[in-house]
Amino acid sequence: MSALGKVVRSGVGRRRVQSFVMALTTLAAVTSSVLSLGLLTVVQAPFDHAFAARNAAHLAIQFDGTKATSAQAAATAKVAGVTESAGPYPITTNLTATVGPDCTERLGPNLPFAGTEAPPASIAARPDLAHSPMDQLVLDDGRWPRSASEIVLTNWPYDCRGKSVVFSGLPGKPAFTVVGIANSLTTTATGFTTLDGFARLTAAGAKADSQMLYRFAQAGTDAEIAADKQAVAATVPAGSIEGARSYLAERTRATGNAKAFVPFLIVFGILGLFLSILIIAIVVSGAVVSAIRRIGILKALGFTPAQVARAYMAQALIPATFGVVAGTVLGNLLSIPVLSDTSHEVGAAGTSLPIWVSILVPVGTLVIVGITAMVPALRAGRLPAAQTLVVGRAPKAERGRAAQRLASRLPLPRPMSLGLALPFARPARAALVGGAVLFGAVSATFAMGLETSFAHFQDKRTGGFGAGSVIVRPGDAEQSGPGGAPGPGPGMLDANDPRTKHLDAAKVAAAIASVPGTRATFGWGDSGSTVIGTPAMTEVDTIYGDPSWTGLEVVSGRWYSAPGEGVVSDRLASAAAIHVGDTVTVVQQGRSMPLRIVGIDFDTHDGSNIVAADAASFTAAGLTPRIDQFNVQLAPGTDGPTWAATANAALHRLDASVDHNAGGHASDVVIVMSTLVATLTLMLVVVSALGVLNTVVQDTRERIHDLGIFKALGMTPRQTVTMVMTSVALSGLVAGLIGVPIGAALERMTLNPMQNAVGMHLPPSVTHSYTASLVLPLLAGGIVIALLGALLPAGWAARSRTATALRTE
Amino acid sequence: MIDLVEATKKYDAGPPALAGVTLSVAAGECLAVLGHSGSGKSTLLNLIAGLDRPSSGTVTVDGTRVDRLGEAGSARFRRASIGMVFQFFNLLDDLTVLDNVLVPAQLAGMAKAEARRRSAELLGALGIDRHAKAYPQRLSGGERQRVAVARALMNRPALLLADEPTGALDSHSAADVRQLLLDLNAEGQTILLVTHDVELAASTAHRTIELVDGAVVRDIDNGTGAQARRTATAGGPGWDDEIGAARGSAPVRSAFQATGPTGAAGTAGAPSTPGTPGALR
Repeated sequence: MSALGKVVRSGVGRRRVQSFVMALTTLAAVTSSVLSLGLLTVVQAPFDHAFAARNAAHLAIQFDGTKATSAQAAATAKVAGVTESAGPYPITTNLTATVGPDCTERLGPNLPFAGTEAPPASIAARPDLAHSPMDQLVLDDGRWPRSASEIVLTNWPYDCRGKSVVFSGLPGKPAFTVVGIANSLTTTATGFTTLDGFARLTAAGAKADSQMLYRFAQAGTDAEIAADKQAVAATVPAGSIEGARSYLAERTRATGNAKAFVPFLIVFGILGLFLSILIIAIVVSGAVVSAIRRIGILKALGFTPAQVARAYMAQALIPATFGVVAGTVLGNLLSIPVLSDTSHEVGAAGTSLPIWVSILVPVGTLVIVGITAMVPALRAGRLPAAQTLVVGRAPKAERGRAAQRLASRLPLPRPMSLGLALPFARPARAALVGGAVLFGAVSATFAMGLETSFAHFQDKRTGGFGAGSVIVRPGDAEQSGPGGAPGPGPGMLDANDPRTKHLDAAKVAAAIASVPGTRATFGWGDSGSTVIGTPAMTEVDTIYGDPSWTGLEVVSGRWYSAPGEGVVSDRLASAAAIHVGDTVTVVQQGRSMPLRIVGIDFDTHDGSNIVAADAASFTAAGLTPRIDQFNVQLAPGTDGPTWAATANAALHRLDASVDHNAGGHASDVVIVMSTLVATLTLMLVVVSALGVLNTVVQDTRERIHDLGIFKALGMTPRQTVTMVMTSVALSGLVAGLIGVPIGAALERMTLNPMQNAVGMHLPPSVTHSYTASLVLPLLAGGIVIALLGALLPAGWAARSRTATALRTE
Repeated sequence: MIDLVEATKKYDAGPPALAGVTLSVAAGECLAVLGHSGSGKSTLLNLIAGLDRPSSGTVTVDGTRVDRLGEAGSARFRRASIGMVFQFFNLLDDLTVLDNVLVPAQLAGMAKAEARRRSAELLGALGIDRHAKAYPQRLSGGERQRVAVARALMNRPALLLADEPTGALDSHSAADVRQLLLDLNAEGQTILLVTHDVELAASTAHRTIELVDGAVVRDIDNGTGAQARRTATAGGPGWDDEIGAARGSAPVRSAFQATGPTGAAGTAGAPSTPGTPGALR
């Protein structure tokens, strides 16, 4: 090994703590940067690739066959802005699909698939299903229909593939053989058949509408899509557009979760990078200052200034390289679960981060590290050998005396007043301590804000339709046995399935109310309806009673108050462009009701595409209100088992029983985000504290002689610790006071793009994170980080041998 | 005041820095410890000050078994019983003279008014009260050492340890400090003076010991004439002669005072430093 190599190796070896800190900070910075930049560039790639490859439509519009002719629909291809179109294709919607009797498999004990209702279907026909010019369909399983009695669906029970589907809601109850599973990227329909097959549907009573698929010149935003839709609507008779489906809603659904990671990862990447620069500046400057005599010796031995500079740069670059390599690997590994989810959504193969991200980020980080280390390293190279050999350490400046005088007058124990004045003797070093703490405080504040919002969000998910400690569901507790499912209730069969048990809402509500200890209750259920023009997974819920106690929150408009009024979930409102004041059409087994949307609520249950209306609205419109569950809140002090026993006795005759409420499900995506935020924050806060530690170690080394004097004069170890700890407290306090508002502002800036990514508008109860009970500890967090960082060197200072310290010059 | 019994200090492998030293110093006595570099002088001083612990043997100072004290106990012991004066003053450069002097009292938790009164008394007695608000770097070497002495005496220690107190001073300042030590001792202050300056030892101390390779090789009662007695087999050649030459035929202290900085001859213990010596203790 060369002489220079030996110097570098011994330097890295002597400063193990500093080397570890540099490696850790670059690891945090590179992990965040690789992940954020990588996700930013590729998160949409699977969808975009599929969109391009399958020539998918920006917008699919369904024209009411009774109001617009096929010719009128076809003429819309010439609307200004349309660059490509396909159709009109015949389509019929809201068909009740039932598993045919030839499927002999069973869903559960005594529960055959046959007769089971699937969600309402929308069936389209195309001349050549395998080769559509637009919205090319992909066959996932089976084959394409070849005759009028065959069909492909987007979803069908695995055990019943190859068996029949019966459109039982149609008067003629036509049956088709499900010969395959196919999908449209933007779900333009949930089933496809031949033109002859479609004719069988209409012959059996289905209403024939027509569907046009479009690509537009301008279709990048919701507003542009809305304008395009308006342009099409202007060329057809008023009211003839029955539904429209934008690719943006589908893209948000497919990529939103992954995109939501990007904003906060960018913040962590930037924080990590700046912290890296600061830490490396601290470490290399400290290394140079503490080794001035050593540098003199190296020069006396014949090292050139360039060699000395290279030696000190290398001492920063070696640990930083470890951090950079590890961070790049970690960033790529962490991207796998996030991206695989997105790829799965669009049926694409797994996507990985682009290779250029894994080159650019680490190389860029190393360049920044190199430049940061170069400044003090060049200073080391320029130091005159003779002076460094004689002086042995940097000259002591005469700063901080006024602060010492002022501090000595404070009514504080002397070790504290001595410590308080120390930063003023070395303001640059105090600024470095403050800087390190500042990044820690910003990271902690930012993370705590996000984590609090995440927690509020999870509360919302587990509240609302998941609220209450017990639930009442259809079925007899005695028949189902302990812990058993009480008969085929909601979730097992489709809401419209005749075998699905529903509750007699009025009687069950009265029975629950009569049980002592009941504090609040409300009933709800999937009505088995759809809303025309909304995504396939839209659910219309019937509500019985007042759910206001559950924490369900209206983010705009108001809660419904009269029959014919309803609320829509925030996500569905965004996806389907439904606004307060709009009227939507709810269809239940061929019967429909207009529902005026009076509010948008923050409802996150069951995929979040929810329309909710009071049971009275259904009854008034001639639809069937279906209540599958009552959520019950017990009064404080009520004994759960006793209440359940009393309630079961009252509910037995109503074929209902009490069950423990497991609550709503916390979002897995949010759990992953929360874990990632916590991990990155922990890394940055630890690095921040280690930055303080490194600076205080440096400071303690330089003050070791003064410490020896104090100890010779009778300063106890505890007083020494107090003095050293106090020396960083002021910097920590100031950094905390500055860092908290910066961290809070960053959290505000981050939440907006995050909620946009997932198509939600978070209510204030979720976004209002920084309460006094959170801010006050955060303000003190700066001091805590500073004190944590100073704790070890303070201990070393207290244990340092006085006699040795006194000899140190 | 000081009792060392078979005190030995070893650092790592190799010969001990202090080898089985047994030593007693009475209250009010001024003992000079002579020796070349590496002879164990500083180690002896560190053991007595509680800055280090013996590898074996005992160290008792002012009734306290110093070798049994922990770090905090040692610090409290130094605060209460030890004043230290160093060759290079060891003043805190970023504190004023007054603040330097106040530090021991503040660390000991002395009442503010009492500390102020005591510091004013000391600064006045040592003739440096006009420098109270100055910083040590502005003062001459002699003045700095006076500040160090004032600081050392702040808590009225039973024992003053002076480690080469004139080593960094010019001859004029050195004589000044020498006289200060004489004055203090005359007031009853027990002093242990570590030096390699034979003349300083002879002129200031009642008694002088010499250390060679960690062992006491000579122990001379300067006040009662040349009664050097060898306490170890090894010894520094010609040392008796040096002491004798420094003392001449007159008592050691008289000889020093005859060459003192003021040039005025005086009797042993005669105050020649500014201020009132009585205030120093």
